[in-house]
Amino acid sequence: MKKILAILMLGFVLFLAACGSDGNADEAADSATAGAEGTSEGSGDNEKQVVTFWHSMGGAGQEALNAIVDSYNSSQDEVQVNAEYQGSYDEALTKFNSVAGTDSAPTIIQTFEIGTMSMINSGSILPIQELVDADGYDMSGLEENIINYYSLDGTFYSMPFNSSTPVMYYNKDAFEAAGLDPEAPPETFEEVEEASKAIVEANLDMKGFALQAYGWLYEQLLANQGALLLNNDNGRTDTPTEIGWTEEEGKSIFEWVERMVNDETFANYGTNGDNMVSGFLAGDVSMFLQSSASSRDVIDNAPFEVGIAFLPHPEEKERAGVVIGGASLWMIDGKPEAETNAAWDFMKYLQTPEIQAEWHVGTGYFAINPAAYDEQVAVDAHEEMPQLNVTVEQLQATTSSFATQGALMDMIPEGRKIMETALETVYNGGEVDDAYNTAVDQFNTAIEQANAARGE
Amino acid sequence: MSMNSTAIQQTPKSQINFEQVKKKQRMKNFSKGMLFLLPSIVLFSVFLFYPLARTIYLSFFLTDAAGATTVFVGWENYVTMFTSPIFLQSMKSTFLFVLYTVPITIIISLFLAVIANEKLKGIGFFRTIYSSTMGISVAAASVFWLYLFHPSMGPLNLLLNAIGAEGIGWLTDPSWALFAIAITTIWMNIGFTFLILLGGLQSIDSSLYESADIDGAGYFYKLRRITIPMLSPTLFFVVTVTIINAFQTFGQIDILTQGGPVNSTNLVVYSIYREAFVNYKFGSASAQAVLLFIIILLMTFLQFKFGERKVHYQ
Repeated sequence: MKKILAILMLGFVLFLAACGSDGNADEAADSATAGAEGTSEGSGDNEKQVVTFWHSMGGAGQEALNAIVDSYNSSQDEVQVNAEYQGSYDEALTKFNSVAGTDSAPTIIQTFEIGTMSMINSGSILPIQELVDADGYDMSGLEENIINYYSLDGTFYSMPFNSSTPVMYYNKDAFEAAGLDPEAPPETFEEVEEASKAIVEANLDMKGFALQAYGWLYEQLLANQGALLLNNDNGRTDTPTEIGWTEEEGKSIFEWVERMVNDETFANYGTNGDNMVSGFLAGDVSMFLQSSASSRDVIDNAPFEVGIAFLPHPEEKERAGVVIGGASLWMIDGKPEAETNAAWDFMKYLQTPEIQAEWHVGTGYFAINPAAYDEQVAVDAHEEMPQLNVTVEQLQATTSSFATQGALMDMIPEGRKIMETALETVYNGGEVDDAYNTAVDQFNTAIEQANAARGE
Repeated sequence: MSMNSTAIQQTPKSQINFEQVKKKQRMKNFSKGMLFLLPSIVLFSVFLFYPLARTIYLSFFLTDAAGATTVFVGWENYVTMFTSPIFLQSMKSTFLFVLYTVPITIIISLFLAVIANEKLKGIGFFRTIYSSTMGISVAAASVFWLYLFHPSMGPLNLLLNAIGAEGIGWLTDPSWALFAIAITTIWMNIGFTFLILLGGLQSIDSSLYESADIDGAGYFYKLRRITIPMLSPTLFFVVTVTIINAFQTFGQIDILTQGGPVNSTNLVVYSIYREAFVNYKFGSASAQAVLLFIIILLMTFLQFKFGERKVHYQ
């Protein structure tokens, strides 16, 4: 018995040793390839220049992006772009902060629009304006409203890439069944309420409207009234010191939701956007607000006809338009010049009309380059899915102002969480006044704290 | 006289020598012991003690987005923390959560372990099933429960509708969400707790039961007088570990509710994560982490002080 045990133990030891040496061999191979890459960067003539690209596109977006990266890699033989998925924007940014300034930092990172200020403050990025100037690249060919967001005092810090705006999705079949005109979707808060009532009357199992508790949507509903999120012109002329909207503007959204909650026409999906979309696809709710980036997914998966409409606004206010959402690409500082130039070449490739058309059609994001809409792929897709065009029209109908340029500050992610909590309070029957006042207090405190942390 | 004096002189000399040898021996033993401990001391220092010290240091500062310290604020992070209604709510939810999950997990697991300890045909199958949740990752289990909790298509609400009750907003109603997370957590923890308790039951000497049988003791009498006391070391271990785990719950919250609705499931570890990696306020996140450390330390200390008295070691 003891002998058998001894043999067994010996076997285990050998097994572990084998595993150990396997690991070592792998590591050795890794460092060998790393070394090879290092030399290739040095010589640069016959070997490919490697560019590491961190992104946060999951699902359909990732497929579309990988296809574009592959097409770039095969279109020339000097640069090899490695696209690496790094989780959500938040997660990618956290990872980036911990490797910034080291060799593990990527060449390009995709970051969401509200990370703009933290990226500039981080000091580890190279403003693309320098490359634009050196190369004589013309940025004015790109969509004006998108450029407005990403240019600060006439300087471009990052290259816009995937941009979207919020739109209202609605179920055309349900509209028809409720005796509403499916081609004339509601435009104002009040019309949305009326339509919701009609929907619920026609079909008791279906709710009228859903608003995900998502701070971004709250910001958009503010901007659509021409309201600022932060003072000092949304933080574009000076560092903000407090909120920028008036009580009337801020409360109108809460009161709108409260009225629908009281009418029992409101579907509460909390902060979960996926649940909301699947509820819509299952016919549990007839209208919801969401980024236009989901439009391709929703249209393809719905068993009914999907309509897409402009973001609603309060009746007594003019529609001011929407703020561009989404993300942009940042060039990381401190890389060898050859690598930076290769990355810049890839960024320019992404802005070409053909690639932008493919990207727009594959996802529902905008084409950064308006010339893309004249490409055959885009024309065909718009003919087949006219809904895709609505998002483009809405952006082009936006009047440019500080409100629709969007806010810049590093505390916006925290501000979003605060508004989400306030919205959820109202969804669950809380008092609008309490929820609103608490949220405003917390929002102002967050701004103060963020300013204090910078030592200002 | 001279003999005497030499004797007196000699005695302290040999005593000193003896002391020295003893000291030398102790030093040798000590360094030998340290040598054995060295690997774990190095590992602990790098991965536990240094981060701990760093966290305490950070908790006195404000930081920028990269986590570098900018302004020294002293105790201000702690003051803000104790006056913030969001954080106080988060502490309250955490304690409620511990109260919901720990006793129920242990009672269910103990029940399952006791019935799975019977010698029946095919008992291996049941043991495997009962411990199977151990093999499911937190992420996979959470996604599975996310589907069960779906407000309109989730099986739980469909079931409620089928019996004529109205559906519950499991993850969207603030009064239900913590409960829903607790159910998920209990389900996930049962596997591990069951396995440990079953192991404890199997190691109880069968002669105790045999002599109890001869004395004519009933099933429940044996359970109360033999099984539970003999199982107490295992139970003590399980209670301690489950409480610590409950305080550190993160994965299921991140996937199911992200701290919502209305911060009702914003348990303390999730709150730390949000402060640090969403709001980039590493200072106040560190202050919260220090507090959590103190609370868990206290809880564990109290358990060892009072709980262990009732533990019967073989």
